[in-house]
Amino acid sequence: MAAEAKKGIDTTKNPVPFEMAQIPGPEMAKTYMPKVIGAIIKKSKRPLLVVGAELFDDPIMFEKAIEIGKLGVPIAATAHSVKGFVDRGYMNNVYQIGLHPLTSYLRFEDWKGLDGQGQYDTVIFMGIFYKFANAMFATLKNFNRNIRRISLDRYYHVNANMTFGNMAFTPDDYHAAVDEVIAAMKK
Amino acid sequence: MATREGSFSVEDMKNVQINIGAVVKEAEEWDQEMGPHPKPGVATLRSWDHIIANRYKIMYAPADDTCTLCTYGPCDLTGNKKGACGIDQAGACGKIVLIACLMGCCAHAAHGRHLYHWCIDKFGDMKFDMGDEILVDSPLYQTIMGSKPRTLKDFNEGLLYVEEEVVQLLAATHTGQESAFIDFESKALHAGMLDLLGMEICDMLQIVAYDMPRGAADAPLIEIGMGTLDQNKGVLIAYGHNLAAGAEAMIYAENNNLWDKVDIGGVCCTAHDLNRIGLGTGELKVPKGIGTKPKVAGAMGWWRKMIRSGVMDCIMVDEQCVFCDVLGDAQKRKIPVIATTDKIMLGLPDRTNDPVDAIVDDLVNFKTPGVAVLDPVKAGEIGIRTAIAVKPKRAEAKIQSLITETQFQEGIKKCTTCNECAFVCPPHIRISNLIAEAMKGNLAAFSDMYEICVGCGRCEQVCPQGINILDLFEYANRQYVKNQKFKMRSGRGPARDTEIRAVGMPIVMGSIPGVIALVGCSNYPNGTKECYDIAKEFVDRGYIVVTSGCMAMDMSLYTDEEGKTIWEQYGGGFDGRNICNTGSCVSNANIGDAAIKVATIFAHRNHRGNFDDIADYILNKVGACGIAWGAYSQKAASIATGCNRLGIPVVVQPHSVMYRRTFMGRTDKPEDWMVIDARDGKMQQIEPAPEAMLYVAETKEEAMLEMAKLCFRPSDNSIGRSIKLTHYCDISMKYFGKLPDDWHVFVRDVKDLPLAYKDNMMKTLEEKFGWKIDWKAKKFISGPLRPADVSFDPTNLPRKIRTKK
Repeated sequence: MAAEAKKGIDTTKNPVPFEMAQIPGPEMAKTYMPKVIGAIIKKSKRPLLVVGAELFDDPIMFEKAIEIGKLGVPIAATAHSVKGFVDRGYMNNVYQIGLHPLTSYLRFEDWKGLDGQGQYDTVIFMGIFYKFANAMFATLKNFNRNIRRISLDRYYHVNANMTFGNMAFTPDDYHAAVDEVIAAMKK
Repeated sequence: MATREGSFSVEDMKNVQINIGAVVKEAEEWDQEMGPHPKPGVATLRSWDHIIANRYKIMYAPADDTCTLCTYGPCDLTGNKKGACGIDQAGACGKIVLIACLMGCCAHAAHGRHLYHWCIDKFGDMKFDMGDEILVDSPLYQTIMGSKPRTLKDFNEGLLYVEEEVVQLLAATHTGQESAFIDFESKALHAGMLDLLGMEICDMLQIVAYDMPRGAADAPLIEIGMGTLDQNKGVLIAYGHNLAAGAEAMIYAENNNLWDKVDIGGVCCTAHDLNRIGLGTGELKVPKGIGTKPKVAGAMGWWRKMIRSGVMDCIMVDEQCVFCDVLGDAQKRKIPVIATTDKIMLGLPDRTNDPVDAIVDDLVNFKTPGVAVLDPVKAGEIGIRTAIAVKPKRAEAKIQSLITETQFQEGIKKCTTCNECAFVCPPHIRISNLIAEAMKGNLAAFSDMYEICVGCGRCEQVCPQGINILDLFEYANRQYVKNQKFKMRSGRGPARDTEIRAVGMPIVMGSIPGVIALVGCSNYPNGTKECYDIAKEFVDRGYIVVTSGCMAMDMSLYTDEEGKTIWEQYGGGFDGRNICNTGSCVSNANIGDAAIKVATIFAHRNHRGNFDDIADYILNKVGACGIAWGAYSQKAASIATGCNRLGIPVVVQPHSVMYRRTFMGRTDKPEDWMVIDARDGKMQQIEPAPEAMLYVAETKEEAMLEMAKLCFRPSDNSIGRSIKLTHYCDISMKYFGKLPDDWHVFVRDVKDLPLAYKDNMMKTLEEKFGWKIDWKAKKFISGPLRPADVSFDPTNLPRKIRTKK
């Protein structure tokens, strides 16, 4: 048990698209362990956490998003998810924008970012309706490959670079995995 | 050889074949000169399309990284690589977009072509007359074709034009033809425009031939819902989009006094059109008022729920949006099927030329699960007679098709919580959770999810235990189905000229904050109620709300605290704080028509053969926004694309990403927002209004906020801008808990500021954005992008610059 706890949650299992027929082509995402994803985010120079309305279905995820925000990763609150941050009194580095216009801007190398400081090098999606997130990942995968695509969602995201396997039905494991990512970012 | 128009001599001619071309018509009585682009070809409006695409950057979300359209393939296009033929990912996406728009366009145009032949055959040629209050009677036709149809036969010219253009466009999708994505999109915009024309022709034909309402704000309230179908009668379902056979069934029932023995329920847009028949004020060739007799069973998204509910005895399908497994589903329940058009024949034997008695006998005695009968008159009679006669014979089958409590319990016990179902469910319903609740005796979870379930049945196919999940939903919602009885306003058709005169100025100046058009099919992200919520939000706020098709039906299924549907809460005029049901899918053309009529009736713009001028006017001055919240078919993609070419932005729901392409503006690029001031030809930067042409929203809250924003236009006067900003900010406060981040971008003058937020906003402008304010005079000294100017005349077309005389 102790060894397992040390090893952490295995997020590499079940790499099946949450919408099973989403098989795009030869290039499909790899699943990674939380500490690897956390380390990659930490190493990123311009990361952006992108959260969506599914956070309302599992409100504890707002707290985890805020924890990531407090580590200096700006948050793009898509759909109407900004309300969750307003309600929690955390708006320090939260930007309200739709996922669609955000992804549109992410296509362009000359975009200056939500804070005017320049284009991002890593986007991290969390709490977004699966099909929509998948499509927006596909846009970046095909039209701006300079941005690393990370999914911190409870689904296997086939068009990401780095993702968990499917954890849609194991919420406790999923929460623990996100905590491990955050812990790795703090190291 | 010299020829003289209109006369020739035939004396002394032998063995001469004479071909008579189009008859030259008498000079038309039309005070408008012909515009520059009558019957535009594939490339005629390309420069307008490029104006759109340069501001609204084409964005693709590939659903597939490969191309498998030809024998070179499969080619890997990941990362915008080129395939063997040389096309890159963007080009391949553009090709698919064009094909999708052509599918949609062809569905409507072919519908129109069928109706054209059918109406001329049945009724003979008729005067095209939309009544005294609609003199601009075919705005899209006139804008695109540059001519006015006078009789039903004149519409043939429009159909021939659409058919020729479609062939040219489809040819461009062949391997080795078009490759540039921007030109695929120009062609897709062309297909979308052709679709608008095809829809208008289709609707005008049926309005005149079947004497449907011509802009009737007080069109009658009709019954909608599965519970309205009288189970003491034989129930005939007319399912699809083409009214021909359903109308004949109604006429047969009427002529033979059979309404006490049969109920007709329409599904999808056929329902709308059956309920418009004989309710007009024109030449009457159908029984007067007959449109109030059939019921609206419901929208297409309810189909698999309907067929499982046991409410129907016979099904007549016509065309478009029919679930492909309709025959199998019906056969399991001993419901005879009649295919009535050559678009959908379901593999059934063509019995068009057989005697009616023999066909009815075969269907009623279950010797065949269905037949194809392509003569609408015959199909209508067969439908009615079969529904009545088969009802007692299938009574036992009907009982058996509904699961019992024991079967329900046995079904749920089989669940192993493997969750395979959730992996294929479009809204990802955790069905195992519903079953777990049902195991505890709580069916509420199944009830709560009933409207969110889109009824696709993919869950049943993957369930390793073979649980008929949709049957579980049916069992848990049996009482709801029985009580599903509501009122919907019958399709009213176009906006009247008098209505446009009344609202033209307020729309262009902005004091009516916008025109919101809710169109499209079912499969909403979070269920049917979102249609009602969105419509209610905007109609309450004083917008003109128009709707059609399945969205009009679905929003009818909800009531306020007084038990009134949205149609009973508000008037049906084309006016603020009103909601219009224009009719079926093809009646969507009336929405584009209304926008054109604002340009031509209110602003006196010449629309004849002048598409880009009118679209430019709409883009800059008519605050309209469409929403296709439940995109199901390619028709929705082509309608949205047609609206975009006409200058109307559209918001769509997240499932719409399957159609791959959107148009998104870059608000960080001032150069993208330069327009010409037509007064003097000077360039002027405008605020990003409208900000996008095709926008995907994740939730209804986001959709509503964006729709309010997409109603901004550079021509808004200060009162109008203030009203629009008020709604934009109010919606944001209501659903987002804060003001939108970009409200200041739309402020040009202190008078633009919403009264409720004015003082705080002025402080914010000074402190956060550095604007200089003369507080005594309450004026901006510096800060806004441009001053408010009521006579500003924005255009994107150099030819609109006024020359000094």
